[in-house]
Amino acid sequence: MVHPTTVLAEIDQQFPESLDRLFELLRFPSVGTDPAHHKDCLATANWLVGQLKGMGFTAGLRKTTGQPLVLGQYAPPGGKKLPHILFYGHYDVQPADPLELWTSPPFEPQIRKGKRGQDAIFARGAADDKGQLMTFLEASRSWLKVHGSLPFRLTVMIEGDEEGDASHIDTFLKTHAREFPVDAVFICDTGMWDAKTPGIDTRLRGCMGIEFTVTGPRIDLHSGLYGGPVQNPIKVVSRIIAAIHDKRGRIAIPGFYDGVKPIPAKLRKAWAGLKFPAKKFLGDVGLSVPAGEQGYSALEQMWARPTAEVNGIHGGYRGVGSKTVLPSEATAKLTFRLVEGQDPRKIRAGFKAFVKARLPKDCKVRFDDSGGNSSGIAVSEDTPWIKAARAALKAEFDREAVLMGAGYSIPVVESFKKYLKVDSLLTGFGLPDDNAHSPDEKYDVASFRRGTRAWARIFAQFAGK
Amino acid sequence: MTELNAVLDAATKDFDNSLERLFKLVRIPSISTDPAYAAECEKAANAIVDDLQALGFKAQARPTPGRPMVVAHYTPKEATKDTPHLLFYGHYDVQPADPLELWKTPPFEPTIKKDGAVTRMYGRGTSDDKGQFMTFVEAARAWIRTTGTLPIRATFLIEGEEESGSPSLVPFLKANAKELSCDAAFVCDTNMWDPKTPAITTRLRGMVREEITITGPKIDLHSGMYGGPAMNPIRVLSKVIAALHDKNGKVTIPGFYDGVADLPKQTKKQWQSLKFSEAKFLKDVGLKQAAGEKGKSVLEQIWARPTAEVNGIWGGYTGVGTKTVLPSKAHAKFTFRLVGKQNPDKVLKAFQKFVKGLIPKDCKVEFAGGGGSPATEIPEDNPFIAKSAEALKDEFRRDTVLMGSGGSIPICRFFKDILGMDSILVGFALTDDAIHSPNEKYDLESYRRGIRSWVRIMGEFGR
Repeated sequence: MVHPTTVLAEIDQQFPESLDRLFELLRFPSVGTDPAHHKDCLATANWLVGQLKGMGFTAGLRKTTGQPLVLGQYAPPGGKKLPHILFYGHYDVQPADPLELWTSPPFEPQIRKGKRGQDAIFARGAADDKGQLMTFLEASRSWLKVHGSLPFRLTVMIEGDEEGDASHIDTFLKTHAREFPVDAVFICDTGMWDAKTPGIDTRLRGCMGIEFTVTGPRIDLHSGLYGGPVQNPIKVVSRIIAAIHDKRGRIAIPGFYDGVKPIPAKLRKAWAGLKFPAKKFLGDVGLSVPAGEQGYSALEQMWARPTAEVNGIHGGYRGVGSKTVLPSEATAKLTFRLVEGQDPRKIRAGFKAFVKARLPKDCKVRFDDSGGNSSGIAVSEDTPWIKAARAALKAEFDREAVLMGAGYSIPVVESFKKYLKVDSLLTGFGLPDDNAHSPDEKYDVASFRRGTRAWARIFAQFAGK
Repeated sequence: MTELNAVLDAATKDFDNSLERLFKLVRIPSISTDPAYAAECEKAANAIVDDLQALGFKAQARPTPGRPMVVAHYTPKEATKDTPHLLFYGHYDVQPADPLELWKTPPFEPTIKKDGAVTRMYGRGTSDDKGQFMTFVEAARAWIRTTGTLPIRATFLIEGEEESGSPSLVPFLKANAKELSCDAAFVCDTNMWDPKTPAITTRLRGMVREEITITGPKIDLHSGMYGGPAMNPIRVLSKVIAALHDKNGKVTIPGFYDGVADLPKQTKKQWQSLKFSEAKFLKDVGLKQAAGEKGKSVLEQIWARPTAEVNGIWGGYTGVGTKTVLPSKAHAKFTFRLVGKQNPDKVLKAFQKFVKGLIPKDCKVEFAGGGGSPATEIPEDNPFIAKSAEALKDEFRRDTVLMGSGGSIPICRFFKDILGMDSILVGFALTDDAIHSPNEKYDLESYRRGIRSWVRIMGEFGR
């Protein structure tokens, strides 16, 4: 390992220029999901290509089925034996509306005090993900300036559809997998545990979405004239939903937990040590009783246990007033959050069998399978990449990095695993109060500076090996 | 030709015009459950008043806190003390028409179509209840045009809130009790036994309605970030609905069956003799197995047993595709059909208690329904029933069936309690009329014979 002192000094010394470059990037209104901003997306991508070229990378745009993809390649002289890293980020941002709720215009970045009295950069994309991806690029820039070359081979991949349709990057990786024989993927799109404690996400839950519609009578009927002998599909759907969880909050679908590994004792202990304020977490959303599986803490329920959630339900009359109808159909939409080891296709088949087993003989059911199938991911805590990141983050923040879970899925991580056969290192410097996706999105100046420094420390772990 | 035959003949000859007058009413979307249609309800009420005034009735659209009430009186020129005074009741409001996309013809553009040998009119309200109450309006018209007068004293009461639980009715009846008290009330809002067999309904289920909203988290949450520890109100609501019935189809709410008596053996026997085909009844609506209380026949389940139904449910994301939301709220609309001496207030309170008992500590439930009416049973030895059954037999050449109905017509109870008169329920609708559903229809034969039946009934009591 090379000590990163000089690189860190360089990062700090030229930090105002790093900020200038980030501001330039933040001024592009690259809202990927809005066709009116497609030109802005292209301009953003070209700007990034220019930055990469300026750092000595081979860089250009690649066509995808969605927005153009920024691709940069760097090969250190004589570095054929060095590990090959793929860094992933995204230049597209969420739409900025409702505009009237922004204190300063979303695409005119501004530094002002945040709620904790800290300096923060306010702009759409400051945290998600422009500020974050720039920590990696700025670290690379300073490293190159000091050492002349990076201690690894590097591919930089910055997409423009992260906030939109994940199938574009998935298709690209599937089609071009052979171009990327990399050893690891680094992703900077996640958060710290808190403002002082860094975090590495090692667990992401997958997501299987399914919708089912039960048909009872072939038409809507008068609930007086038919109520009694005629089956009501709302009751059928309700009974199915009510049967999904047992009294202890466990999911009662046969085979649902197949492949789910127990949470390692070490990890349970480490998470328990975080003293996660479950009461406040629930209290903030107006609840007080943990509703998940008994025997698991709220953090475990979110980070390491699968769920079955009903996202929507409808059937019969839902207008103003009443209608004495006995409806013909009722529909429910569900998503299952999955953890590593669960096969979304098996879960889908298992759920269908579960529904059919509870369907009265004369009712019909149809399923809509368009809700996606992504697997849960748990990255081994022992990979060299995580070890390096933990050491580097501890050196920068003077605290052990928390190995966290994220309840949600980051589909690209699965795509990397599926097509490039590699795990991702997910570390980032966002904070829970960053307002990603909301008005007044911000990124702490400290997140930007320390994030950049942290990457330099991670690089140093590889140097001189 | 007797006077009665002359009037019957006139009614038959004027049938096309009767149809046209009905269509004019069906074209007015007088939906009472949706405030957006208040002006349409008023328009319908005024149209009826204008028509009745032209016939010589003293007719008014009387204001209420809700939709106007049409009240019209007719006193024959040679009325004596002994001339019976009969009230005729119907309602001009209709159910909402949605889901619109399932209608084959626009709901408020009445259309005549031939279905095999049967000619039908399609449109919201053709059967429930515009087509039905227009049968007695047209019968009165035939009498007045042919003989210059009605054979009886008549009061027409046509309300505009029947489909929304008649909130203004009781205060209105109480405030106008003297004016509206007659010898008996004829209500035209029920079915025939089958297309060839007339019926008088003597049992009606009551009803209680309730809407519940369950709140879990105070805002919609991301189902990935919160899924697990945060309770989902749809789950809670589903448990409530799933707990409403036991395996035998009985309602599990404690005290729900208080006041429900077993069906008298004789009535049970009578209904069995009707040779009602349960399999066909279910097959017609696409089903095979009776879902109600085990051990009770389908007719008994509809006519003499209470139910708990969910009329609507919604919560979370209901658009196209997926949204990974853990919703804050879930809602459902319920109706309970009541029989015998079940008390609506007690049933409502018992249900509310039942729901509260199933709500997790940190979730909330709100109730927004309320109101209801008990069941009605009219003694089958009522003299008006016998005479009406006779008149119907004359028209249809078949014995009149005395039957029950699963629907609720709370007015019968109010007529009895407030105005002291029994209700005779004579109607010409058929089970396949799809009332409350898309493609509601009324057979032209129902309308024609309905008119002729009222001509006969009015004549029978005017003798």
